[in-house]
Amino acid sequence: MRQERKADFLASLAQRRRTLAKGWYKYSRNPLSVLGLVVLVLIGLAAALAPHITPYPAQAGAYTDFQNAGKPPSFEHFFGTDRIGRDVFTRVVFGYRFSLLLGIVVLGLGVAPGVVLGLIAGYHRGTWVEAVIMRTTDVFLAVPPLVLALAITAMLTPNLLNEMFAIALLWWPWYCRLVFAVSSSLRSQFFVREAELSGASEAHILFREMLPNCLAPILTKMTLDMGIVILLGASLSFIGLGAQPPTPCLGTMVADGAKRLPGEWWGTIFPALAIVIVILAFNLVGDGLRDVFAVEEV
Amino acid sequence: MALLEAKDLHVGYRTFEGYLHVLNGVKIEVDEGERVGLVGETGCGKTTTVKTILRVLPMPPAQVQGGEILYRGEDVLRMSTHAVRDLRRREITAIFQDPLQALNPMFTVGTQLRDILKDSKAGRDGGRLTKRDIEKRCIVALQETGMPDPERIMTNYPSQLSGGMRQRVCIAEALSREARLLLADEPTTNLDVTIQDQILRKLDELVDEKGTSVLMITHSMGVVRDLTQRLYVMYAGSMVETARTKELLACPRHPYTQGLMKSVPRLTGEGISEGIPGRIPNYLEPPSGCRFHPRCEHVMPVCKEAIPPFYAVDEDHFAACYLYRS
Amino acid sequence: MLSPSRVLEGAVKDTMLKYIGLRLVQSVFVLFGLSILIFFIARVVPGDPARAMMGYLATQDQLQAVRVEMHLDKSFPVQYYYWLRGLLHGDLGRSAYTKRPVVTDLVQYIPATLELILFATLISVVLGQAMGILAGYFRNSWFDGVSRLVSYLGIATPSFVIAILLMFFFSQVLHLAPSVGRIPIMMTAPPTVTGFMVLDSLLAGQFSTALVALTHLVLPAFSLAVIHIAQEGRITRSSIAENLGKDYITMHRVHGIRTSRIVFKYLLRPSIIPTVTVMGLDFAFLMSNAFLVELVFMWPGFARYALTTMLNKDLNAMVAVVLVIGLTFAVVNLLVDILITFLDPTVRIQRRGG
Repeated sequence: MRQERKADFLASLAQRRRTLAKGWYKYSRNPLSVLGLVVLVLIGLAAALAPHITPYPAQAGAYTDFQNAGKPPSFEHFFGTDRIGRDVFTRVVFGYRFSLLLGIVVLGLGVAPGVVLGLIAGYHRGTWVEAVIMRTTDVFLAVPPLVLALAITAMLTPNLLNEMFAIALLWWPWYCRLVFAVSSSLRSQFFVREAELSGASEAHILFREMLPNCLAPILTKMTLDMGIVILLGASLSFIGLGAQPPTPCLGTMVADGAKRLPGEWWGTIFPALAIVIVILAFNLVGDGLRDVFAVEEV
Repeated sequence: MALLEAKDLHVGYRTFEGYLHVLNGVKIEVDEGERVGLVGETGCGKTTTVKTILRVLPMPPAQVQGGEILYRGEDVLRMSTHAVRDLRRREITAIFQDPLQALNPMFTVGTQLRDILKDSKAGRDGGRLTKRDIEKRCIVALQETGMPDPERIMTNYPSQLSGGMRQRVCIAEALSREARLLLADEPTTNLDVTIQDQILRKLDELVDEKGTSVLMITHSMGVVRDLTQRLYVMYAGSMVETARTKELLACPRHPYTQGLMKSVPRLTGEGISEGIPGRIPNYLEPPSGCRFHPRCEHVMPVCKEAIPPFYAVDEDHFAACYLYRS
Repeated sequence: MLSPSRVLEGAVKDTMLKYIGLRLVQSVFVLFGLSILIFFIARVVPGDPARAMMGYLATQDQLQAVRVEMHLDKSFPVQYYYWLRGLLHGDLGRSAYTKRPVVTDLVQYIPATLELILFATLISVVLGQAMGILAGYFRNSWFDGVSRLVSYLGIATPSFVIAILLMFFFSQVLHLAPSVGRIPIMMTAPPTVTGFMVLDSLLAGQFSTALVALTHLVLPAFSLAVIHIAQEGRITRSSIAENLGKDYITMHRVHGIRTSRIVFKYLLRPSIIPTVTVMGLDFAFLMSNAFLVELVFMWPGFARYALTTMLNKDLNAMVAVVLVIGLTFAVVNLLVDILITFLDPTVRIQRRGG
């Protein structure tokens, strides 16, 4: 008995490994997606190890050194220094920390409720439950997310936590709609009917039968959304509604540096480039996943 | 001089897996007013042949490696795009396999038919048609294919028509400009059996009336028996046998043709057809010499070395097989 | 006697109207829901809205007056009822920031943004489609490669970054374009007819003003357009490439239809449908990006007004602003839908059948 179970387990492990190998083969056919992944890993590592790898970790936050203010890029300061003498490179790497943190927290908070509601609406297709959930979704999607996020953060005190909260609050409807589209078409499929007839609980059908079939589009969308959330966060902090100074935040740095254009261009251009690169990398990886899962539209 | 003559045509596709050598020395001749059949299994290169003749093969990935296609003595493969377009407007036309794909879903039948005639140079002395002539000829073309109420059909979108109706529209499009040569690529394969016969009979009647030469590609023996005078048998990108249709069906010589004939179900009650063991080779590494040799029961050492040429086996009957070398 | 095609057209129009009607009703419900949502966000805030509105120097009496005027002393549903009643009379309340009726503010600021957005849409449609068609038709050529690169960058670059870069290069380094506003302060604006500076100048016969206004318009509009050039160009490219492989396009060529007709009629029509489909969603992004671009270029438009009112916790204006955006979005989506029906006969036939 034990032996059998072990054999089963090993077989399923081998199966899983084969699936992974095949997925990686498909993914690696597109060199741009591989590049995106490499860049993401580098950014992730740099952000995680920021205090240890940046040249002047003390200059990330509140720090002034007017003697070294507004220095152009040099060997000591790769990206130059900002108007109060902080090393721009150090601040950019620290800025990535907050960008990635924002993306992870927002998707972590926002995706789960959206997926659950989407599954419920899909399972109860054609009933008042679906109507209530999906019409509520429509209301949230009736204005662009940035506008609602602005309204919410403006009402609260602007800081990183509220920014995360505001964006997370707006993110569930997208997943609700996505999962609803998939799950409502699964509803009439054989395996769901079978589970229903065999007396499985609703929770079992939702999470064990239907959810696994929605994972591919969810995962792909999450990757692409990381880019969008980071962009949204940068936009909010550019306006001044995100994390407040002296927190090193990419959007704030762009806005701050822009006041010194065209002279001290490095204060703006480098943080701006940093934003572009991370969003680009997420898009490339998302495109690669789309190929792997053969997801049509997310 | 033959109206159309393809000589030693070699065409391949460059793909991710490697080079697919599909057409391997195709030869075809169609005389003025003649109706020629081309039969072979699915995947033997029939459609590639037609598309090469029409110069609509997507290149890349396709590549013409060699050979020539002479239309009235002029090489189609070496013509300027301009000359090819004139050829299509005046001389050569085609019907494709799938009527569901062959009509643009975004435009009415009338729009598509009118535009063909507008650009066709089918007017007097090769000039353009007048507006009134275009209208008239559209209606006539649709009527000729046996469609009721052509005026209404003109305002319909393809999705509003049945498969049979759409193929009639395709025939009308193909024949509307009085071309001299029709390449029909399995024109009835994707239709209901009951409609197939109607459409073929109509097509037969029309080309007869207009004196159009036809190259009919099919995998149905019944179709070639009724509609063609001469026949080519194709296997894996090469011609294996040609003769007058009646002769070839009665007395096939190439081992492949013999196998093909046996695999046609007969109504005489001789039992289930036998078929040929094995399957069409892949084009990535096709067999050397005669491509049929791995499946052939008469295989000889020479078969693996060189492509056999056409040997005369009877009057006007040729087989590309070393069995007939003497 | 009616010809069959006439009858057909009549039926199409009939079902179209029914469909539009249905969509309008749906939109009204969505907007109603949106008004509740935004009203809730605006009113259920920590702290005293009246205090936030009047500032710290206001006396108790003044605060009380504001509370009464805005019905802040009543329960939430009652507040909403008063607000809704005002809305039905065309009254959206008074802006705490400009001290004017919100409606007056909207009428003043909306045209500037509309001008900007329409111009951006025009740029993105023209450039995006041109790029997409060329890249799709000559797929795998060097042009296709370059356009892919441009698209990836265009999609990944936030519009405020593009705005800053454009301003940096074109007005600060090269001095080719003015950087801020709609026209220079010294210039007299033409009388307002449409609210579009360029158009109004032309109507008033002030051609030099029109030209100057246009140069002010180019950079912000282009900043907004870049992402859409990238996105829509990419979608058109892939659908052109896909349709090129279709049998019917081969058939059009076989039948000797001239290339220009095939490309611009038979190939383009099916290929732009996916692009048009996403244009509704793209418009939403255009709207939200306008918030940032107007900020960078100090464009005195609706989005900057919206931003300012939000930053100042101007409740009435904020609710109105969000609703206007929701309304615009709904209208644009409806227009896109109608356009699709107009472009795609299969949708038309389906809707008639269903």
